[in-house]
Amino acid sequence: MSALPVDNDSAILLHPHKRGLQNLDRMAQYRDDDVVDLAVVGAGAGGSVIAQRLARRGWKVVVLEKGPFWDPDRDWVSDEKGAGQAGLYWTDNRIISGDDPIELGKNNSGVGVGGSMTHFAGYVPRLHPSDFEVHSRDGVAVDWPISYEELKPSFERVERELPVAGEFWPWGDPHGYPHKPHPVAGAALVAWEGARKQGIEMHMGPVSITNGRFGNRPHCTYRGFCLEGCKVNAKASPLITHIPDAIEHGCEIRPNSFVTRVEIDDATGRAAGVRYIRDGAERRQLASAVAVCGYAIETPRLLLNSVCRRHPNGLGNAADLVGRYVMVQGAPQVAGRFPELLRMYKAPPPEITSEQFYETDERRGFARGFSIQTISPLPIGWAEHVLAEGHWGLSLREYMRDYNHWTVLGILAEFLPLPDNRVTLADEKDAFGVPVARFSYSQCDNDRAIVGYAKNMLEQIWDAAGAMDLLTIDRYAHLVGGARMGFSPDDSVVDSSHRVWGIDNLFVVDGSVMPTQGSANPALTIMALADRWARLV
Amino acid sequence: MSLRDQAHPNPHRLEHVNGTTPQMVGRYPDYDVLTQVDHWDALTRRVVLDRVERVPPIRFFTPDEAQTLKAFCDIATAQDEEPRIPILSYIDEKLEGGVGDGWQYDDLPADGEVWRMVARALDEEAGGRYADASEDVRVEIVHRFSKAELQGGVWGELNVERAWGVVMRYVVQAFYSHPWAWNEIGFGGPAYPRGYSAFGSPHLGEREPWEGEESVHYDPVRDAKKWRLD
Repeated sequence: MSALPVDNDSAILLHPHKRGLQNLDRMAQYRDDDVVDLAVVGAGAGGSVIAQRLARRGWKVVVLEKGPFWDPDRDWVSDEKGAGQAGLYWTDNRIISGDDPIELGKNNSGVGVGGSMTHFAGYVPRLHPSDFEVHSRDGVAVDWPISYEELKPSFERVERELPVAGEFWPWGDPHGYPHKPHPVAGAALVAWEGARKQGIEMHMGPVSITNGRFGNRPHCTYRGFCLEGCKVNAKASPLITHIPDAIEHGCEIRPNSFVTRVEIDDATGRAAGVRYIRDGAERRQLASAVAVCGYAIETPRLLLNSVCRRHPNGLGNAADLVGRYVMVQGAPQVAGRFPELLRMYKAPPPEITSEQFYETDERRGFARGFSIQTISPLPIGWAEHVLAEGHWGLSLREYMRDYNHWTVLGILAEFLPLPDNRVTLADEKDAFGVPVARFSYSQCDNDRAIVGYAKNMLEQIWDAAGAMDLLTIDRYAHLVGGARMGFSPDDSVVDSSHRVWGIDNLFVVDGSVMPTQGSANPALTIMALADRWARLV
Repeated sequence: MSLRDQAHPNPHRLEHVNGTTPQMVGRYPDYDVLTQVDHWDALTRRVVLDRVERVPPIRFFTPDEAQTLKAFCDIATAQDEEPRIPILSYIDEKLEGGVGDGWQYDDLPADGEVWRMVARALDEEAGGRYADASEDVRVEIVHRFSKAELQGGVWGELNVERAWGVVMRYVVQAFYSHPWAWNEIGFGGPAYPRGYSAFGSPHLGEREPWEGEESVHYDPVRDAKKWRLD
C-alpha cells in the first residue's frame, strides 16, 4: 500500500465494504441566499478538486451538479448497455455538424457527481513539457501562458491521490508512479510482442487504478468494466478521490441542480452567483466567486447563455472566442485477429502505452504526433467496430462469434486547435427551455496526416505480431478547449490564473481552458490545473 | 442472394447445446452465461434477466411501423428463425423512454423520427409492405441501405448513410446486450463481484473454469469472402 496523501482523507473516509459515500449525512447545507465563498458549476475532474482544496482551507463551497449523487452499489451495473441506462452519460440533446461531426454521449461526456471520470478508461498520462510551447517549438497552434514546470508539482500531487499505477515513464519529463504496474492480460501481451518486433517501446500504465489496497479502496478485480462505472472503488474518479474529503471539510455538493446562467451584478460587473433549476423550480445561489467547471461543451454553452447588459455576446466573449478552439483527439482503432482465444473483455481496457511518437519529427511530414494505447471493447463496442467496416447480417454475426480472437490497439492523435471547431447555441432548446449546444468539427490536413500515419503504424504492429486479419474503425476521443487560457483578452477567454478576462471573480477551471492537448488523455491534466488554481486563488 | 444459400456449408450451422442462443447457433456449444447469475450482484442480475424474462411491449411504434421494422431488424442481424432476440422491443423501449445517446446530426431529425422515416422508406422501397416482400427483396433493400444507395421518396429526406449508422447503433446495442448473444460469442457477461483471475498472462488461451470452450475455429474474413456473406 502506498502512502496516503496527508492533505486528502478521501480514501479512508470511504467504507471498506460499501461503495457509496459514508459522510453524506453530515454534509453542510447552505441556503440559496447565503453568500458562499465559491459556487462551483459541475462536480467533475476540475470542480471536485477545487472544491476539496478550498473546503480544506475553510472556504464555504457549494458545488452545483446537474446529475445525481452516485452510489455505485445502488446505481451502477456491471453491464455495457446498463451503464447508459443508469444515466452516466450526458444524454440531453446536442447538435453536431461540420465535415467531421463528433459523436458525443458515452464516448466523451458525463453527468452526475464525479463527472465523466466515473466511466473513463483510467489512463492518466501527463502532458509533455513540449505541449506548453507548441507554437515556439513547432510553429503550429499556440503556447500556453504557463509552463510544464509550473504544473509539475500538481501532476505529482494528483498522481499520489488517485493513485496512479504504472512503470517508470521514460517519455516527456521522465517520472515514476506511486503504484507498481498491473499485470498485463493476454490480449495486450500480443500487441506488446508486435510492438517490440517493430522496435516500438511500450510500457505498462499509467492508470488510476489501485494496485493494492489504498485506504479503504480495494485492489482492482480485473473485471473489465471500467467504462461502465467502477463498482469496486478501485478505479479513481472524483466521487471517491476528492468529494469525500470535500464534504468532510464543509463543502456542499448539491446534485440534480442544473445551472442555467451565471449572474453578473450590473453595478459592479462582478459575478453575483448562479441561477439554477432544481426539482423543476428556478433558484439562485449567491456567491462571492464562481468557478465554471462544465467541460468543453457545457462551459461555453453556459458562458454564451449568460448574456446580460454588460456582456451582450456572453461572458468572456468580447473577442468572440468563447466556444472556439475545441479539440478532440483522433482515436482510430485497429483490431488484430489471432488464432488463440484472447478474451479481451477481461482486465481493465487500459494496459500498455507508447509515447514514442508523441513529439514532432519532421521526417514524418506533419507537426506533433500521437500515442498508442490498448483498448478492449466489450461486445457492443466490438459490434460497432464490425459495423464500421460495412458488415451486417450473417457477416456481422460471424465476426461477432469471433470476438474472443481479437484484440485492439488505438491511437490518440493530437489534433490542432482551429477557430471554426466551435460550440455555439442551437435553435433547439432543452427540457428547461435553455438553448442546447451546437458543436461543429472539421479536421485540418495535419490532423488527417497524423491519423493516416498512425493507423499504418498500428497495422505494422499487428503484422509483426502475426495477426491473421485486421479491422479498422475511425473515431475520436476526449474534448478540450472552448474557453482557452492565454496571454491577453484578444487571444483567449481566461488568463493564466483561469480568470475570465474582465470579470474579476469568475473563473473557468476545467478542460475547456486547455490551449492545446498533446496526445495524452486529459483527466490528469484537468485535475492538475484545478490543483494549481486552488493554490493561486 | 438469400440468407440460407444451400450451396455452401453455412457457418451459421453451429448447433448450440446448453442454454439459448439466437437461432441456436454459436461457437461455444456448452456455454450458458445464465448459469452464472448467482455470481452477479443483484442489481446487474435484474437488469440482465429482464432482457430475457420481461420483454417490453411495443409502445413507441405503430403496429405497421413495428411490423416493418421487426422484419428489418431480423434481416440486419440474420435472425431467420426462432429463437429470436426481440430487438425491436428494446429499441422501442429506449425510444419511448425519450433518453437518446446524447447527440443529433444537424442533417437528421431526432432518432425516433429517423426510425419512423426508415420504416416508411423501407415500405416504399418494397413497393408495398417491406415485411411481406420475399426474403431476396428484403435482403437486397438492406444491402443497398447499408451502402447508402437508396434514393428518392422518403430516402431523399434523409442523409441515408448517417441514418444507417443511427439505426444500426440501436440494433447492435439491443442485440449484443442480450445474454443469448453472449452465449453465441462466448462473452463472460457481468463480472461483479467475482472479477477474473485467468486472463491469458503468461499463457495465452487460459480461461476461468466456468468459461466456455470453443468448438471450432473460423476466420471470419476468410469465411465472409468465401461464402459471400456480405
